Amino acid sequence: MGLRAAEEPSAATVGPQARAVSADGPVALEARDVYKVFVSHTRRSRRAMTAVRAVNLTVRRGEFLTLIGPSGCGKSTVLNMFAGLTAPTDGAVLQDGQPIRGVNTRGGYITQDDNLLPWRTTLGNVEIALELKGVGRAERTARALAYLDRVGLRGFEHHYPHELSGGMRKRVSIVRTLVDDSVNVILMDEPFGPLDAQTRLVLQDELLRLWQGSGRTVVFVTHDLVEAIALSDRIGIFTRAPGTIKEVREVAIPRPRDVFHIHEAPGFAPVYDAIWADLRAEIASGREADGE
Amino acid sequence: MSDGRPLGPAVPDCADPREQAILAREAADVVRRDRRLTAAVATWQVLLLAALLAAWWGASGRLVDHLFLSDPLSVASAFGRIARDGTLWFNLRYTLTETLAGYALGASTGLLAAVVTWLIPGGEPVLRPLLLLAYATPKIALAPLMILWFGIGLLPKILLAAVFVFFIVFFNTLAGLATAPPGLVQVVRVMGAGPVAVFRKVVLPSATPFIVVALRITVPAALIGAVVGEFISSNRGVGYLISAASSRYRTADVFAAIFGLLIVVTLMNAGVSAVERTWVRWTPRERSPLG
Repeated sequence: MGLRAAEEPSAATVGPQARAVSADGPVALEARDVYKVFVSHTRRSRRAMTAVRAVNLTVRRGEFLTLIGPSGCGKSTVLNMFAGLTAPTDGAVLQDGQPIRGVNTRGGYITQDDNLLPWRTTLGNVEIALELKGVGRAERTARALAYLDRVGLRGFEHHYPHELSGGMRKRVSIVRTLVDDSVNVILMDEPFGPLDAQTRLVLQDELLRLWQGSGRTVVFVTHDLVEAIALSDRIGIFTRAPGTIKEVREVAIPRPRDVFHIHEAPGFAPVYDAIWADLRAEIASGREADGE
Repeated sequence: MSDGRPLGPAVPDCADPREQAILAREAADVVRRDRRLTAAVATWQVLLLAALLAAWWGASGRLVDHLFLSDPLSVASAFGRIARDGTLWFNLRYTLTETLAGYALGASTGLLAAVVTWLIPGGEPVLRPLLLLAYATPKIALAPLMILWFGIGLLPKILLAAVFVFFIVFFNTLAGLATAPPGLVQVVRVMGAGPVAVFRKVVLPSATPFIVVALRITVPAALIGAVVGEFISSNRGVGYLISAASSRYRTADVFAAIFGLLIVVTLMNAGVSAVERTWVRWTPRERSPLG
């Protein structure tokens, strides 16, 4: 499909029809009994809060794993720990068996905001990751253009972010992360949250096509259960705050998937019902003390 | 969890002893970190102050004639003298009165003028060039006029201080009034708010952070106005004290009087901080740590 131009050689060994990762493959990311607590104090009072409690999670290399749960349950906190943006108070987070210390520059990080530099054009924004790693001008331009081509942004490479639509800006921010070959773990925190429903579907589809066969590991945080099922190999369900992982469920829908008709796919209904049952308990019991 | 670990307890927050231990440890860590930070800040402040005093001490009489620079000890003793014999407090009272009155006058008229300008349709575009010119006028150039018009009493100093405050409060307030979110205005209008209610409930509160900033940065401006007025023509006030001492080359007295002015600034800053705490408590300071 011509999507593989800039990918690692391991991509060839993973057939698109097969389940992307085997359950006992090498571990890319791991959280071991992780706690995150926040304590703030003034002279008179002290407030303590547990954001994340006893989280254990392993993410296999090449796997697409989604974290889902009620608002404020700590799923973003766990993602930020994998990004090295926040350290666990107790327990350990590891990448490839090594503890993550400081900001994790081997990972890509995509949030709700597109975080594009307003003074750089589309091309400049995509190139920045390569620029910071010291890739030469000609090569980084060529690679950036190749990626922009794959998401249909050729012709917009000299536009500034404010001249692009929300969906286009989101594409630029995804491509900017993927263009760097050294990034083999991609962390996404509700990346499609601010988009309208149609654009969301289109971008989910594009994300899957960019990721599939790339061998890259994705950890994706979302509120949207259908989105989680459409994208993931496995889904980790959080309890309400203070969050811990209540259940990890497999999504047995074969790839490549049709995100536009995912609800008609065999295997959709059972996993939807199971996860919704998990979530409903958390949402209902959290209603009196809404953690927002 | 899928690997069979027991879940955290559903109801009581801290039933897990492990979690309690982590919370206790983190609480102790936070207190220790804060204490260490406070101590470090205090240490650096003391060191910096000591370095400045030492530099002053070292330069005086060696790099610069003692007549022009005096030295920390002479200044301290001069300060003690004018504080004990009442000279400082007598003059400080005048300067403080002028500063406070000028500040109050300038701030209230600036605020009022901004509101009026904002309320009159087309007021801002019409007035803007005029006010920018007035703002750009060196205020000190007005001092002789003030003396000419209002004599050498308190009034010209108060007016001069007010002029220094007025424009900053005026322009900041005007900018603040323009930041009222249109969505908020529309929502309360549909709830039945008339123009007065819209102004009081939405527009003015939106402007308060701007107003508070203006009130903070104009404290020293008011003091400048008062002291400059005293320089030009006066027989009392700290400005007078300074010009009288410097004309007799009593540098230590000049510095002592300047430190006296710092008392005024410190007191007024404390007042503004109190206002700030109550008026803009709603402005967000930190994001919630939870995602």
